[in-house]
Amino acid sequence: MYSSLDISTSGLIAQRTRLEAITANIANQATLLDAQGRNIPFARRVVHFAAGDPAAKSRDGRALGVHVASIDQVRSFQPRWEPESEFADAEGYVKYPDINPAFEMMNMYDAQRAYEANLAAAEATKAMMAQSLRLLA
Amino acid sequence: MLADLASSGAIPSLELSLRFAGERQKLIAHNIANASTPDFRPLDVDPAHFAQTLRGLIDQRRSKTGGEHGILPSHSSKQIRFGADGRVTLNPRVPSGNILFHDRNNRDMERLMQDNAENVAAYRLTAELLRGRYEILKSAIAERA
Repeated sequence: MYSSLDISTSGLIAQRTRLEAITANIANQATLLDAQGRNIPFARRVVHFAAGDPAAKSRDGRALGVHVASIDQVRSFQPRWEPESEFADAEGYVKYPDINPAFEMMNMYDAQRAYEANLAAAEATKAMMAQSLRLLA
Repeated sequence: MLADLASSGAIPSLELSLRFAGERQKLIAHNIANASTPDFRPLDVDPAHFAQTLRGLIDQRRSKTGGEHGILPSHSSKQIRFGADGRVTLNPRVPSGNILFHDRNNRDMERLMQDNAENVAAYRLTAELLRGRYEILKSAIAERA
């Protein structure tokens, strides 16, 4: 029964990581500089999942569940015509992060729903554990 | 004597049902956790197959001991294995059906949540029935009416 909780927890962690990446994408949709102040626009983060959770405590939790396989950085940018900007190139274009807020919002709703589904599964497992305890009481 | 009491009536089949629901919950949680995993196909064991197998085992016990007591015989099929120690091991299949999403995952969240709710309901019902049987046993041991 504890491994069922392990599995749902792995789903919660994966979806939370995905939500963090989406939040970072939305927050940085107009970020033109990197942390060192260089003109390197923010690269969109994409989280990829794979089945199985090597970090789980139980054997079944490691065999089943889900984990974040990679967080890719998409290095494509949107050029915008802003010749007066100090970051404009010779032709007057500024490179902005290639982030579509509508797409990110849609992804966010999907991650939220998936997070809630994992939470519901964990609650169901907890209810089953409570029921098992009643057998002993 | 005690072994006969512990394996009397419906207790062995209820215990097996409880273990099955517990094992199936792992698969359901796994399917829900992988709802966003590319190329993932959900795993499941058909509860109807379990019910049919259990019915067969109960019939075998009935023909052997009359059905009043006795452990259920061990059994092994493609999807389910009941060990002699009462352990239930599932060998899930990959159900076909539903459309493939753009990430080649054929998730069906509504069905997954339905499976989750049904499995918990089955577990609760079985646990309550088993609790009733245990209460009777406890009363018998304490010589209460």
